[in-house]
Amino acid sequence: MVIVNLAAAPMSKEQVADLYLGRSDDCIPIDQPVGSGIYVEFYKKVTGRDSAQVKAIWSRLLFTDRGVAPKQLPNSAAVKKAVAANPKAVGYIEKSAVDASIKVVLSVN
Amino acid sequence: MISKVTPAVAAAVLALVTGTGHADTIDTIDRYVTFSGFGTLGVVHSDYSQADFIGNVVQPRGAGFKSWSATPDSNLGGQAKFTLADSLSGVFQVLSRDDANGQWKPTVEWANLQYQITADLKVRVGRMVLPTYEYSDTQYVGYSLPWVRIPIEIAYTDAGLHSDGLDVLYRVKTGSVTQNLQLQWGRTRVDLPGSEFTSTPATVVVFSDTLQYGDTSLRLVYQRYSSSGFPPVQLGVTGAGLTYDPGGWFVMADSNYSQDKFFGDLFSWYLSGGVRIGRFAPYAIYSMSRAQSVGTSRLTALGNDHTVAAGVRWDFAKNLDTKLQLQQVTIDSLDDPASFANLTSRARVGDKADVLSWTLDFVF
Repeated sequence: MVIVNLAAAPMSKEQVADLYLGRSDDCIPIDQPVGSGIYVEFYKKVTGRDSAQVKAIWSRLLFTDRGVAPKQLPNSAAVKKAVAANPKAVGYIEKSAVDASIKVVLSVN
Repeated sequence: MISKVTPAVAAAVLALVTGTGHADTIDTIDRYVTFSGFGTLGVVHSDYSQADFIGNVVQPRGAGFKSWSATPDSNLGGQAKFTLADSLSGVFQVLSRDDANGQWKPTVEWANLQYQITADLKVRVGRMVLPTYEYSDTQYVGYSLPWVRIPIEIAYTDAGLHSDGLDVLYRVKTGSVTQNLQLQWGRTRVDLPGSEFTSTPATVVVFSDTLQYGDTSLRLVYQRYSSSGFPPVQLGVTGAGLTYDPGGWFVMADSNYSQDKFFGDLFSWYLSGGVRIGRFAPYAIYSMSRAQSVGTSRLTALGNDHTVAAGVRWDFAKNLDTKLQLQQVTIDSLDDPASFANLTSRARVGDKADVLSWTLDFVF
């Protein structure tokens, strides 16, 4: 699995985790459907958390009006398209889905 | 919580994003208003016959001897968030739970307008919940808590209510450390049954700094109430808390020291830890409230009790969890021990209450 963005500047796992857990708003994180294989793998490997923990974290931010959970797009193709269209957007997709429209900023094995 | 994005909507968003190329316009779904909510269904049983176990210091009654009570934890909340312009939004949140008068009555907890001045600076005007201690502003969102409820002792001097005023939020990054600074000023009513400024509004000023470094967060807060009612209140609360939560386990400690001329000084703290094993998250808590000095009220040991608790959270389905918690609370003073209301004349220092709580939490 890889983390992608329009810029080629590499990101650390911690930076990506901060984005998806609402600790940073340097970029706009884009999500895959909750519970999908890639969603589960991404959160487990990058944040060390499962979907319920992630939901609990975002509930805390939502109900104090400090943030809204990342938008979910239906699949990697949609994520890729959104990332390609917005320099601030960050997404995660399968390594095999990478093409010239986006850059890999972090690889997660 | 936010509803799922359908492919059609997502396509529309992408089209808009492509069209404008601006970062902010990715949030065009639910552009004007989003609804979300939370709730907890809970029952509590106490084996102690000389007082009621309560879930929050303002509640006038709770779980007594051999009786199950839904009062301490049950609640229902709803929120609407309005996006009025790119940097202007509003939020409105209503919460129902058994209040200081023992009534299940909805109250408006959040109602404010937020203006984003820069990416790191926001100002809110209206009603906000006070950020006095860890989780004080989401203590009724059971789903956001690792336990059944916040250790009551930590909230003893301040139940974590809302204030009407102004709030400034500023985020500063220094290397890998992010500081979230918050300055809040407003008017509030602290509604403790039979004590404090029940009828006179108080002015409250809060300054808090949350330092986040990866999975570690340190929280520092200073809060001051003043009211000219009777008794006149000059209550200062200084708090510090530390959390480390890498995902597979967590430790958390929080404390506050409150100073008041009338009630004297009080120190409250807790230490908690837990692990996550699949969908289960067992935890333990030790919490305590101790009077530190005698105020003009001459109450010598106000609030004193301590609690040992163990429980488990089970995330059994999407957006739902259930928790079971067993705790033993020891009464260390007959002057309004933090976890109880309605002490009888037969209550004694050293008495112990075994309390069993079950909750079902949901978010949507």
